[in-house]
Amino acid sequence: MGKRVSAEDQNEAATQLVNSLIAIEGVTGEVLSRTNGTQTRNIAHLQCEPSSWRKVAETMKYDHQVDHCSMITGIHWPDSPDKNWEVIYHFLRTGVTDPAITEDGSSIIPNITEPKKLSGKEVPLEIQVNIAIPETRTPSVSSVQDIWVGADWNEKETWDLVGIDFDGHSGMRRVLNPHETPPGYHPLQKQHKLRYHGFEEMYDDAQGFLRKAPDSGRVK
Amino acid sequence: MAEMWISMGPQHPMTHGLWTLKVKVDGETVVDTEPDLGYIHRGVEKICEARDFTQITTYCDRLCYASANTWSHAYIYAAEDLLEVEVPERAEYIRLIAVELQRIASHLMWLGAYGPDIGNLSIMVWCLREREMMMDLLQELGGSRMHYNFPRIGGVKRDLPYGFAQRARAKLDLFKQRIQEYESLFDESTVFLVRTQGVGYTKAEEMVNHGVTGPNVRAAGVDYDVRWAHPYSVYSELDWAPAVERSSVKGADCYDRYRVRVTEMVESANMVLEAIDRIPGGSETHHEPGDPAILAKAPSRAPEGTFGSHHFEDSRGESMFHIVGGGDGRGKNPYRVSIRSPMFITLPYASKCMIGYKVADIPAIMGSFDPCIGETDR
Repeated sequence: MGKRVSAEDQNEAATQLVNSLIAIEGVTGEVLSRTNGTQTRNIAHLQCEPSSWRKVAETMKYDHQVDHCSMITGIHWPDSPDKNWEVIYHFLRTGVTDPAITEDGSSIIPNITEPKKLSGKEVPLEIQVNIAIPETRTPSVSSVQDIWVGADWNEKETWDLVGIDFDGHSGMRRVLNPHETPPGYHPLQKQHKLRYHGFEEMYDDAQGFLRKAPDSGRVK
Repeated sequence: MAEMWISMGPQHPMTHGLWTLKVKVDGETVVDTEPDLGYIHRGVEKICEARDFTQITTYCDRLCYASANTWSHAYIYAAEDLLEVEVPERAEYIRLIAVELQRIASHLMWLGAYGPDIGNLSIMVWCLREREMMMDLLQELGGSRMHYNFPRIGGVKRDLPYGFAQRARAKLDLFKQRIQEYESLFDESTVFLVRTQGVGYTKAEEMVNHGVTGPNVRAAGVDYDVRWAHPYSVYSELDWAPAVERSSVKGADCYDRYRVRVTEMVESANMVLEAIDRIPGGSETHHEPGDPAILAKAPSRAPEGTFGSHHFEDSRGESMFHIVGGGDGRGKNPYRVSIRSPMFITLPYASKCMIGYKVADIPAIMGSFDPCIGETDR
């Protein structure tokens, strides 16, 4: 049969990781067991204060071999003062190492993993870290660009689209919006609304000189 | 000689889409590079906030025009995680067939575009011929050739049509024979070898740290694959192994990245054949659309405070959705949809990869990473 790490092993590895990280001040967490389609996944799910994020990141990378930063999501919650902004990090522990070289140095020996034999810190793992930022006009968290280079462009994108800044990030710039976008304009903030274009508006009087849109003022 | 910056693009010498690569050259040698993206940024993440969960599938199809099925499936798995839907096993098998056929079609599209990049035009004609077969099969499933809108939250749109199994077996067997012809066409073509071998070396550990995943990492001799590390669907039921390439000591070059995709296509073809044999209920049964055997009931609203995410092995690497529930319409819309595009993370790394090589190597190196600008810019 095909390859997979057993759900028990994964749960154990996730619990180990969470237990070691919640020892850091300002961190809480648990192991989420979710059923996806027909499979069970165990996710190490952590909540972290912005002040302790840098320490958590270093512990994850250097003590727990979390080597892959998948994605950074920024969220704007204008209505909740204690969680005005949220940054969600998704990590994977892949366990990828450079393959060994044959004795004569002519070629490499490809890494073929046997998932059933993986244990401890080799077990592939999904990690999600939520960081809530209280109400502020200049939200920011520490950058982890130097720990995982893969976070570099994720952070650029989060700043560009959501407006959450990353302290210590070098070379921050617009990546998806045009370079001449006005400062302070971040389209995924919730004050920018998407307006629904009615059918008549799209096909009749395309320039819109004659009348207001039937749903002007209505927000969708 | 004085160094200078030149702009490659946005109308590109590489046939992969609209983007700019700023290259700093010293004579013919590349000294520094800087990618500039966003030319086709459509704001899909923002649009999704004003659509309900069913409507979003259509937008996800359009993220990547060469690999539409994998993207809509990536979204569907995240949405199912959010809405806590149990999917019938038959639907999972049909999804696997659709995704793996799409993976073959996407790799063929890449190979077809890579040929002209490096001056071998006949590659394109051959690949597009084989891609037609995959397109035909996908058309039978989804009803169209490019944007299938095939998966549904809780299952799939349609069951396998009558005779699909027979036609798929015939076409995939033929495809596996043709792949051997490819090997004699490409691997013995001096033009192809000279342009791809020994350029654009990459190392596995470095790539993972830079966020590069998928075939590009497997080309460096590592068998990491989201499909076995975090199995979704029914991948853990099938007998398969990720394609790995025995790269050179210096790392994976463009040739290894080509080889690993060819191996992966054969692997996907075998996976589809096995799935057709093993599908519960048999491949000759046909259920009407909406039958509980292929489509489970799913809630249409996600309350505030819920979230769902899913790592998915796309044709180009690990794609991912994170969806937060509780948006407009009392949870009918998501509050936030966030998309991880593998190429968005890979492009900056690939751009740095070509430092030290000649300007003429840029299309060969860049093309070998399989860039797709549709998903990169979202």
